[in-house]
Amino acid sequence: MADGLAPALLRVTDLVKTFPGLTALDHVSLEVRGGEVVAVVGHNGSGKSTLVKILAGAYAADGGAVVTEEGTELHFIHQDLALIGELTAVENLALYKSPDPDRACELVGRFGPVFDIEAPVRDLTPAQRAVVAISRALDGWTHPANVVVLDESTESLHKTEVDVLFDAVRRLAADGAGVVFVSHRLDEVLTLADRVVVLRDGRKVADEPVATLGHGRLVELITGGQAAMAHTHETTVRDGDPVLTVRGLRGGTVEHLDLDLRPGEIVGVAGVLGSGREALPSLLYGAASGAADELTVSGAPYPRRSPGGSLSRGIAFVPGDRARHGSVRDLTARENLTLPQLRTLTGRFGNLSARREHAEADRLFTTYQVRPARPEQRFALFSGGNQQKIVMARALRDDPAVLLLDEPTQGVDIGAKAAIYDAVESAAAAGTAVLVSSSDAKELLRLCDRVLVLRDGRCAAVLTGTDLTEHRLVTEGYGLS
Amino acid sequence: MHTPPEEHPVRAALSFHNISAIYIFVIMFIVFSVWIPEKFLQPGVWRSLLDAEALTGLAAIAALLPLVAGSLNLAVGAQVGFCAILSAFLLSKAGLPIALQLPAVVLAGALIGYLTALVITRLRVEPIIATLGMSSVLLAGMAWVSGSQQILDLGPDYRRIATTQFGGVTVPVYVLLVVAVVTWYVLERTPVGRRMYAAGYNPEAARLAGVDVARLKTGTLVAGGAIAALAGALLTSRINAGDPTVGPSFLLPALTAVFLGSTQFRRGRFNVWGTLVAMYVLAVGIKGLQLGGSPRWVNDLFYGLALLLAVALSQWEKRSARRR
Repeated sequence: MADGLAPALLRVTDLVKTFPGLTALDHVSLEVRGGEVVAVVGHNGSGKSTLVKILAGAYAADGGAVVTEEGTELHFIHQDLALIGELTAVENLALYKSPDPDRACELVGRFGPVFDIEAPVRDLTPAQRAVVAISRALDGWTHPANVVVLDESTESLHKTEVDVLFDAVRRLAADGAGVVFVSHRLDEVLTLADRVVVLRDGRKVADEPVATLGHGRLVELITGGQAAMAHTHETTVRDGDPVLTVRGLRGGTVEHLDLDLRPGEIVGVAGVLGSGREALPSLLYGAASGAADELTVSGAPYPRRSPGGSLSRGIAFVPGDRARHGSVRDLTARENLTLPQLRTLTGRFGNLSARREHAEADRLFTTYQVRPARPEQRFALFSGGNQQKIVMARALRDDPAVLLLDEPTQGVDIGAKAAIYDAVESAAAAGTAVLVSSSDAKELLRLCDRVLVLRDGRCAAVLTGTDLTEHRLVTEGYGLS
Repeated sequence: MHTPPEEHPVRAALSFHNISAIYIFVIMFIVFSVWIPEKFLQPGVWRSLLDAEALTGLAAIAALLPLVAGSLNLAVGAQVGFCAILSAFLLSKAGLPIALQLPAVVLAGALIGYLTALVITRLRVEPIIATLGMSSVLLAGMAWVSGSQQILDLGPDYRRIATTQFGGVTVPVYVLLVVAVVTWYVLERTPVGRRMYAAGYNPEAARLAGVDVARLKTGTLVAGGAIAALAGALLTSRINAGDPTVGPSFLLPALTAVFLGSTQFRRGRFNVWGTLVAMYVLAVGIKGLQLGGSPRWVNDLFYGLALLLAVALSQWEKRSARRR
């Protein structure tokens, strides 16, 4: 641990970064000394990824400064490791130089037994790939007093592989390097870090030695205390027949899941990345391939799921990536709104009735308050919030029986967020069963009657009523309870 | 909230941006009229241009349909050529009557389109590679059927199909007009057309909106194949022989017209009327240069440069639309 005598290799002072409608970083300061591992933790939207991007030079800060000690370099190991899968380890290590197998062997050998460095890295294990990435970050150092930033680098690793990486990081720190460890895996943070910086809503709320922190205290700091965020949605208990029933659903990161959705209820899905949370809506919709022991919609079996089949059964889906999956950016807003259901607008000669289609687009624009009110404008030209309103309007156009939402308010301003919540709630009040998958705990508290917390592809907990708190969402999601 | 003012609709419709091909046409018309008036300003020149280019127009629509749904078809020229040879073969060597020969050729064209679609949708070969391969296969087929020689003796009646005139205009022009109107109607006025554009622009988003992208792609390649076959049958009628060398030269003018056409009228969208206007404007340019005494290779140079310019223009259109 730092003893106060080691020099600060990296000094971040009063960093400010704002985006339209959002202060991502609000006067954040931190220091990293040689020999020290500093963890940066925080929820989605806390500002930690903005901080990393500013350090990496991808964003320019609006205020404040990032100063490094004379001669200190910053090295990054990003979540996706930034390796080229078709090339071998030797080639990945020498992207800007001529490949040198001996040098590669020496670099990789520092982290344990040497593996096949002449194989394409996509054929290596995730841990071996991580070793290649870290070796590359450490190559060419002329002195040990540099800073390494690990940005969620353990995301794709198993427990034993994480240990390999951590050994390497500890060895670096022992040689005098500073390490910034950005992670949402609290266990790993408590194992590896000397000091923990907690960000919440763009502000630094804690900067403490790890010895003074436990799981509970860390969760409290991340969430801002239990009392601050309570369940704000009025829970309605529904006991009608489920409109959608699924048993033993699996596919992607989902291992095994049972679910009943009743008309009028809003069910949330929480969990960390990779828990199955992000895969569930598209799996149910039939956009991603998977299987289920049993799946019925309104009592009738629905064996082979597909987007077309789901739409005709009244199941609507709002994908998380609105630009790539939720819309056709070069078509107009009107054309996007009507695309999934054109049959009701078709006239006698198999033609689209322009009059009815325009009326339909105008009606949806009014109902969902899309601005500017120009249905003939290209989808791409609307702001993010209004694009999302259009995508929501499209899903709700024919009063679906089931509405599947994946991150419905990601990258959306506060005004549009409120409008989208209103739309979801009035759809539920009209009898639509809603499933909301979200990484935003506040969103789930705001909207949901109950929340399924997924962990490792299975349902770890169902939270409802007074149990439904941000604290419980976090602890169940991390498996800390 | 601040909203920028909407462009004046008439001014937007007449802007160079929207109808650049028509402005280019006016400029070329003036240049050639001043330069070579005695050759350029002859009614016969214009009538033969209308007639000769009708087949290019059909080839262009045959390329346009698959492209709307996202498949670039490099085999269009070979499709026209193969079907032209097949037309001659069925008449002279197989001795089929025209009433059977024409449907057989169109059916063969549709089948070629279907096979191409299978390669693209089932074997997951990129359209550009699939159609390049298909093109070579068809060229081989042409050489095999024709023995790399012209097929003559088509009988006296077949020639009349392409040469008969109504009101001074030949049959191929009417065929083009009918095909163009039907294509326009399907693309712009029906659900199928809307889904085709969606599938071409963003196949994944279209799939999530319930569009059967593979079926649409197949449909456009089959329809495009049938239209290319029609062009081939008319080509053989027009030159009164099955000529194995003519067909492939349709590819470049057709693709150039489709890409240049996408910058006309519909703000970057592939469309029928833009395609036809672009095609005739390009043809007028070529004709003027030929009448002015330019050598034959100027054809290739002109279409090659026009294609590069057209695609660059459509890319620029996309970028400027994003900035706005």
